[in-house]
Amino acid sequence: MIALHREDAGYPPELRELRPAPDPLWIDGDLAVLDRACVAVVGTRRMTPYGERVARELAAALARSGAVVVSGLAQGIDCAAHRSALGAGGASVAVLGEGITSFLANARGRRRLLAMELRAHGALPPIVPAQGWMFAKRNALIAALAQAVVVAEAPIGSGALITAADAARLGRPVFAIPGPLGARASEGTNALIASGAARACLGADDVARAIGLTVPASDAVNDPLLDALASGPLDLDALARRLGLERATLRPRLAMLVLTGAVVDQGDGRFARGAG
Amino acid sequence: MARTLGCALWGLETALVTVEVDVANGLPHFAIVGLPDTAVQEARERVRAAIRNAGFEFPLRRVTVNLAPAERRKEGTGFDLPIALAILRATGQLSVDPDGLCLGELALDGALRPVRGAMPRVRRALLSGITRAYVPIGNAGEAAALGADAIAFGSLRDAVAHFEGVTRQAPVGVPPPAQVPPPIADLRDIVGQETPKRALEIAAAGAHNLLLVGPPGTGKTLLARALPSILPPLDPDEAVEASAVHSVAGLIDPERPLLVARPFRAPHHTASHLALVGGGTPPRPGEVSLAHAGALFLDEFAEYQPQALDTLREPLEEGAITISRAGGAATYPARFILVAAMNPCPCGHAGDPGIECTCLPDAIERYRGRISGPVLDRIDLRVHVPRVAYEELRDERTREPSSAVRDRVCAARERMRARGRRTNAELSIAEVKRHCRLDDSAEALLAEAMRVRKLSARGYHRVLRVARTAADLDRSDRIAGDHLATALLMRAAP
Repeated sequence: MIALHREDAGYPPELRELRPAPDPLWIDGDLAVLDRACVAVVGTRRMTPYGERVARELAAALARSGAVVVSGLAQGIDCAAHRSALGAGGASVAVLGEGITSFLANARGRRRLLAMELRAHGALPPIVPAQGWMFAKRNALIAALAQAVVVAEAPIGSGALITAADAARLGRPVFAIPGPLGARASEGTNALIASGAARACLGADDVARAIGLTVPASDAVNDPLLDALASGPLDLDALARRLGLERATLRPRLAMLVLTGAVVDQGDGRFARGAG
Repeated sequence: MARTLGCALWGLETALVTVEVDVANGLPHFAIVGLPDTAVQEARERVRAAIRNAGFEFPLRRVTVNLAPAERRKEGTGFDLPIALAILRATGQLSVDPDGLCLGELALDGALRPVRGAMPRVRRALLSGITRAYVPIGNAGEAAALGADAIAFGSLRDAVAHFEGVTRQAPVGVPPPAQVPPPIADLRDIVGQETPKRALEIAAAGAHNLLLVGPPGTGKTLLARALPSILPPLDPDEAVEASAVHSVAGLIDPERPLLVARPFRAPHHTASHLALVGGGTPPRPGEVSLAHAGALFLDEFAEYQPQALDTLREPLEEGAITISRAGGAATYPARFILVAAMNPCPCGHAGDPGIECTCLPDAIERYRGRISGPVLDRIDLRVHVPRVAYEELRDERTREPSSAVRDRVCAARERMRARGRRTNAELSIAEVKRHCRLDDSAEALLAEAMRVRKLSARGYHRVLRVARTAADLDRSDRIAGDHLATALLMRAAP
């Protein structure tokens, strides 16, 4: 853990645009990661299966294009993005709204493991318990660090919309992923697009191109089975019904896709599309 | 000096006990030696009062009772009758030696009361070549059901009258077998849920453990309660073993003591770990042992105390549970099919298309984390039980009844028995190697699973056992791709 002051050489130049810029900036991890192109993928904590899938697929594709995925290590979309970027072999940076030691003291389970795995996280001194105002500062920091911001899924009033507004103020391109009409979890993102505050993100290509990167062609299998899982996880019976297949023919195919990682087991007997 | 025969019980372990009584001159005194516990010590008061109130005379001399072999602790009230008869014999108030196993608790007025655990004690006597058992009327059925020559008494007076030949009692007839209770639920009544039904069938056939996950009100409980309707009938030796556990727990119907239906136990989720695995001094059997040879249904699986769930690990692995206490250890059998049901998240609606889930991801993770990895690892089958659409509920097409499924299950068990095991869940690692031949498509799947390291060594063998059961249900000698895929897709632990 090191403290970077504004006048230090390694201080991320983008942060100097912030008023006031964090001084000092506390960072734990690999500093070199911050020199690479960063894209923020943010969104709601109460994500839907749709939001989770698009966040995962987007983060994985961005990681493959060489971008560093920045987010806030909150539950929901943030974690899905971090995890998927790491899973695709990319790097990821978490900007915490509290000190890392305080975070580790409270976080449990997979989110704690994720924090240990991340290439860099930081902003605040190690021992700073969470307080409401810090999260708004954190959001501004995410917007400043990133060269583009994508809101994956956000209802009206979500903190991710604050990040989007900060990014717009700093002149960063803002993207929002359109969601189904009538879904509360997508009202914020849809409104961003409707008002012109954000561009509709129709794929990782849109975002990568905006910062001068290209997403390598994916070798993902084109299987109608994966299409059937596009709107959310399904169990075996529902999948067989949707595809019009006998369960006996579906099972070996599904088992193979689970083994290759194209489909993941949700832990409750349902199956979701993998990030690949 | 007189001798009668009793039987001591520790868990299901039994040993014949010779009750020796010596009546000598000296100051009036009554002592029981041979490691009696409190209940046996108190026999002194009961026996003294019962002998007097039955119209006999309690000797005002020095009475010493020895329970041999003397080095193991004796517990329970079953020694009252042999002690009383030995005292009467030693004082000449009884002129013949009782020639069989004596068992029973005395009331102060001399009446005989039934005791717990009569069945394993009578079985011990039968195994030792003692066919005659003198028991209280309430235990007569248990003794007769095992084939013993059971003579039932209502009181100490009756017993003496019988031995003296005044009023001879005839041996009690073998009680009629209990009626098989009508199953609570039939698979015919459950709409949709094809994969959960198939998982239930595989669980019943191979004795694999099953976890049902789904929103509230989707029929998880109904599915679980339909399990008894597709379980094969009890084998005779299983029936005796399971009935013996129920006898020790005092849960036997005296009229129809032998179980005919496989037990189905459903303890509430507030049950403590002692209630589940047994405990107390002397150790009593818990729910896992009462479910022996049957099924244990744990509804709201995630709501049990984590400590209680973790105690399931030993019985799930060993098929038995050993309870150790200061006074000694008791081992009870505990080979059961675990059927667990839980909601996918605290609010219950994760993955429910009808109702939005209000839980945050961390809360869901915490909820699922309440079931520890080692327990999850022993659950072979996990299926999602979804909400069934209204249109499907109106579906009037005929569905397969439980009886048809049960026939398939019985046929599959027949194939398993031909391999020398009761169920596939009991196959040893060597037997898994010998009996689980894969066809080409299954071989390819398994190779891929091993390549991506999705399976631990334990997981590998568990998956093959389940696949073997799926193949047995299809009457197939080789495990096909679909059988292995079923096992892989339903496995709970990664």
